Amino acid sequence: MSAAREGRVVVALGRRALSVQFRRAQLLMPTFVLPLMLLAVIASGTSAAQDLRGFPDVSSYLAFLVPGTIIQGALLAGLTSGTALASDIEFGFFDRLLAAPVRRTSLVIGRQAGTLGLSVLQTTFFLAVAYVFGARYPGGVDAALAAIVLAAITAVGIGGVAAAIALRTGSLSLLQSIFPFVFVLLFTAPAFFPRELLTPVLRDAARFNPLTYVVEAVRGLLTADGSLGDPWAGLAAAVALALATTALATFALGRRLRAA
Amino acid sequence: MSDADSSAPAVEVRGLVREFKGGIRAVDGLDLEVRPGEIYGFLGPNGAGKTTVVRILTTLLRPTAGSARVAGNDVVADADAVRRSIGVALQEAAIDPLMTGRELLRMQGALHGLRGPAARDRTVSLLERVGLTQAADRRVGGYSGGMRRRLDLALALVHRPHVLFLDEPTTGLDPTSRGALWREVRALNDEGTTVFLTTQYLEEAEQLADRVGIIAAGRLVAEGTPDALKARVGEPMLHVELAEAESAGRARAALAGLGSVEPADPAAPTRVVLRTAAGKGAIGPAIRALDEHGVVIESVEVETPTLDDVFAAVTGSQLEGAGSVEAPA
Repeated sequence: MSAAREGRVVVALGRRALSVQFRRAQLLMPTFVLPLMLLAVIASGTSAAQDLRGFPDVSSYLAFLVPGTIIQGALLAGLTSGTALASDIEFGFFDRLLAAPVRRTSLVIGRQAGTLGLSVLQTTFFLAVAYVFGARYPGGVDAALAAIVLAAITAVGIGGVAAAIALRTGSLSLLQSIFPFVFVLLFTAPAFFPRELLTPVLRDAARFNPLTYVVEAVRGLLTADGSLGDPWAGLAAAVALALATTALATFALGRRLRAA
Repeated sequence: MSDADSSAPAVEVRGLVREFKGGIRAVDGLDLEVRPGEIYGFLGPNGAGKTTVVRILTTLLRPTAGSARVAGNDVVADADAVRRSIGVALQEAAIDPLMTGRELLRMQGALHGLRGPAARDRTVSLLERVGLTQAADRRVGGYSGGMRRRLDLALALVHRPHVLFLDEPTTGLDPTSRGALWREVRALNDEGTTVFLTTQYLEEAEQLADRVGIIAAGRLVAEGTPDALKARVGEPMLHVELAEAESAGRARAALAGLGSVEPADPAAPTRVVLRTAAGKGAIGPAIRALDEHGVVIESVEVETPTLDDVFAAVTGSQLEGAGSVEAPA
């Protein structure tokens, strides 16, 4: 099996994962609508936070919050990808893929390719909607593109965890029950508040949450303010997460096949 | 496109065992061989182990013990070569309802290395073959059961497999859809594809299979052509209904040369029963012989053993829903 052929398999599986996502209304709601609703609530309800001592001097509170929305989107994109995989396993579609002469890793990477595509569309959508409502990005188009890349890699990282759980358990309902934990991950990272204003406990937790570095990196990029986040630290965290969890998902698939 | 060894048996199973958690043996020392180019009917009730065997042969399950080769390749050691040689349509047509028929065929083509115009042409020809051209761009969720099965069959054929596994392909289908699928399976077989067909419908096995294997409790309990299996149970019986009970003695004497006449049944004095391997072919000679002996008859019926009789004889139980499949229109 040539690498080119496996590449085409990954593209075919990624395309299928992405197109099906847009046909599942119940998955579009959390991935596209929910993060914007939360953004609207936080932006309108907590705007006084920017007057707190220690809050960074930003030109647009909305622009400060958008990175949190982007990372929330990446989390949900990854999780819904795992949900879709669990659905494929539970309803037998995954067997069709397993009966085909393709590398087993391509099945995982193909799913991840769909997650990546979904996240790119999501982040572009969030940036555009926030822009319409007044958010401005001093970092410019390059910064926006970099933010899209960071979010996509992060979504792949979360998708890897979700895929590993799906492959280990094959349970759609378990994946669905994990959704609330997204918010634990989100709020133990400085998604909507500066790290300095978090309580000491949360601040300590944030240090161990890879999303902290990604959300700060996106914030630093969009606001063109390096003091708000280091893009390289964010890239390192996102790539490490993606590689580790994709390996975990591949391991889970191997284990599933050995146990079959 | 495939790694099939044309001289090897299409399927070769030796001492196959599959145990599940709790020590449940779904397959318990199975031996069978399917010749290239034949339709092999794998018959058994629900829970007999049919689907477990198919899942092992299609590399979706690993055997606990024993060996299985498909198109000359070992299902564990050469799993990828097996996958290149086989087409699979599983029991529950596992088709994503949100995709269209055309999308699914294109994706399946990509999984088997088809691309560009070759993939497009193959998709178009398969849609046409299974009569889904008009529905090609509709989501599969809106297809009827028969349409899904036909699409499932088309998906299994994308890469022109040497061995086609059909796991209860007509379960739940109406007679018209079942008939269409049977015709397609016969046509595929005529083109040289070996077909391994599991079914719990006796008529399906009789209509389609060159040879039938009967599985019960994970073991092969009988195997052969449908006619040979039925012959094992007993010869066909000619039931002759006489106009008068008094002529029974003459009738028995007249028929004695054509086979084995069953002992008289006091409960049915006007009936004479002849066992003969000739079956329907014995009707003419029997009528002539009775006429020559001056016996007047009311009716003649031939009773041929069915696969259900075979199943009952080899397992001691009836097949669930045996023979209850409605004949296709």
